[in-house]
Amino acid sequence: MKKVVALFCALALMTTSLAGCAGNESKPTESKNEEQKVLKVAALESAYGADMWKQVAEAFEKKNPGVKVELTTDKNIEDVISPKMKAGDYPDVVHLGTGRKLALTETMIKEKGLEDLTDVLSMKVPGEDVTVKDKLVPGFTDTLATNPYSDGKTYLAPMFYGPCGLFYNASLFEQKGWEVPKTWDEMWKLGDKAKAEGISLFTYPTTGYFDAFFYALLTEIGGPDFFNSAMTYKEGIWKTPEATKAFELVGKLAKYTHSTTVANANDENYKKNQQLVLDNKALFMPNGTWVTGEMKDAPRAKDFKWGFTSLPAIKDGGDRYSYTFFEQMWVPTEAKNKDLAKNFIAYMYSDEAAEIFSKAGAIQPIKDVSSILEGENKMFYSIYNDGTKASMGVFAATEPVEGVSMPDTLFGTVNSIVSGDKTVEQWQNAVSEVSDKLRGALK
Amino acid sequence: MTRNKGKGRFIALCLSPAVILFIIFMILPTINVFRMSLYKWGGYSNNKKFVGLDNFLILFKDQKFLQSFQNTILLIVIATVFTMTFALLFAAILSREKIVGQNFFRIIFYIPNILSVVVIAAIFSAIYDPSRGLLNSLLSIFKGSNAEPTLWLGDQKIVIFSIAGAMIWQAIGYYMVMYMASMASIPESLYESASLEGAGRIRQFFDITLPLIWTNIRTTLTFFIISSINLSFLFVKAMTSGGPDGSTEVFLSYMYKQAYTNSSYGYGMAIGVVIFVFSFALSAIVNHITKREPLEF
Repeated sequence: MKKVVALFCALALMTTSLAGCAGNESKPTESKNEEQKVLKVAALESAYGADMWKQVAEAFEKKNPGVKVELTTDKNIEDVISPKMKAGDYPDVVHLGTGRKLALTETMIKEKGLEDLTDVLSMKVPGEDVTVKDKLVPGFTDTLATNPYSDGKTYLAPMFYGPCGLFYNASLFEQKGWEVPKTWDEMWKLGDKAKAEGISLFTYPTTGYFDAFFYALLTEIGGPDFFNSAMTYKEGIWKTPEATKAFELVGKLAKYTHSTTVANANDENYKKNQQLVLDNKALFMPNGTWVTGEMKDAPRAKDFKWGFTSLPAIKDGGDRYSYTFFEQMWVPTEAKNKDLAKNFIAYMYSDEAAEIFSKAGAIQPIKDVSSILEGENKMFYSIYNDGTKASMGVFAATEPVEGVSMPDTLFGTVNSIVSGDKTVEQWQNAVSEVSDKLRGALK
Repeated sequence: MTRNKGKGRFIALCLSPAVILFIIFMILPTINVFRMSLYKWGGYSNNKKFVGLDNFLILFKDQKFLQSFQNTILLIVIATVFTMTFALLFAAILSREKIVGQNFFRIIFYIPNILSVVVIAAIFSAIYDPSRGLLNSLLSIFKGSNAEPTLWLGDQKIVIFSIAGAMIWQAIGYYMVMYMASMASIPESLYESASLEGAGRIRQFFDITLPLIWTNIRTTLTFFIISSINLSFLFVKAMTSGGPDGSTEVFLSYMYKQAYTNSSYGYGMAIGVVIFVFSFALSAIVNHITKREPLEF
């Protein structure tokens, strides 16, 4: 008898302690309705907010009866979906761009975990009589950011885009009677003038912001072909006179950088660097259009007015470029409802969806979208109207190479250049070395 | 005999839940880390490639890993030496001396331990702020207000010590309370007779207090070293994100970077294995060299 009781007790203990682990299993069955198809959408909640996603999801449900959109939005969406993905539970559509700290999208590219979306381009936009391709601004689906393996196939759909460039206080320039520099020579002269008044020429939030800066700079110096060769790790490309010029230019800019920049150039304190521009302590910073929203509530100098310009030209009359940053949407190969997912992506380019997005300030590369813009956005997106060219693309996808990271070497080292811990030459050699290592791992 | 057998079975049954949980949540994941370190894998897809010990070979040539190794050891050494010294000193003062507001100090010292690391990191970011920070404002009294500010989190020669400062500040209180507890159990008579023999306070501390709480120091030392590895990651992540230019990268932050941002999950696990072995070895060494005959009183 005693034995039986003991056995029973032990079993009871075991089941209760193990019950905790099994608790999550039963939930998904609730939503398993025979008729209803569930589309799992995961979207990054960026500066535009999460509301627009809810509205778009509802609009899509209305258009497609019998479809339920299970929407997940989060500011750190990677942290939410990647544990599930590791466990085999994949979302059907993910809106998450490259260039994020956790690089989930890059990892998916490197792992060949993305569904080919080329056929979405020739699909009709739901409810409209045009194909996706016809609605898109040309050029957006020809870059390494959408066709990462440069094989003519599109794996990532271009979503919200924005020009990147230098932000400054426009009214400070008016007060002082300074002109916004059009060439780098003018830039240096302005730097000396500003220095005399105790203002630094330049600051940057973190070195991560040098990506757009560097991409535009490389295109200005060597043209789009040179830029693409650099992005595909062509042999010796980082030792060419063009590349040397870019490194030296940043090296010179480092001398004009505000002295406290490096100390705050981390994820915790980067806003203090952005504050330098608002406080008239530094003139320019490289940034994207989201910065105005990000610093909305920050104190600022009297009469502060945002100004935005592309990088100065290398020489008088030379080409000026502004890097176009855009977020992407993709479908994991492991997704369950791929057709519905592609339908959803096509729907993103409908007038209906575009209107919802643009109300929140999120602009897609759809033809004639700039006509509906207002206020600050109008200034940002009209940067390309006065002759500035758009530069697009990212580094080509490679197999992961252990311990080798191009962003760390090319951008992260800027901190050491500014603080004087490394020379420009050391930097250039290191980048060239990394490029060599990555070339062998190209997909 | 059958009685014994029954008892054994009962014990086994009672233990089994804990053992099963331990195996599922501790042993298996650890084995998995070791196994994954032999693969080249990005973390998400099914293309795992067995590469044997390649990850480890790359690891020992990886300058950045060696730098993070150096930084970790530096942090462990600095943080341990200073935390232990100060914690012992404060504990001795607070438990042996009569000071006004003893309890007040005890609470003040303990407060950092209640705060989360992210809060502490924010506090120290404010203290280290180059233009408005407490530390630079204080120094400007001596240097004059026009002197170039010291970049506590920007100067690559200083920044690792700035992180150590935050770690030490955070840990002192906890260990102080631990030592105070064991100091309280030392009988007063020992100190009385020592002072009758003419031993001063310092002599008493080294000859009575220290030997009698030695077992406690040993345990906390091992604790502290292991937790330093973890804590350094949290502080680095929240204060500098490994920057500027990798100068505060530690073991775990580098492992995280490789496993997640650089899509080299297998390589990250190889770093994990090295950390695992390193912490085991370190605690074994510490345990061995601090071994003394336990004193009874």
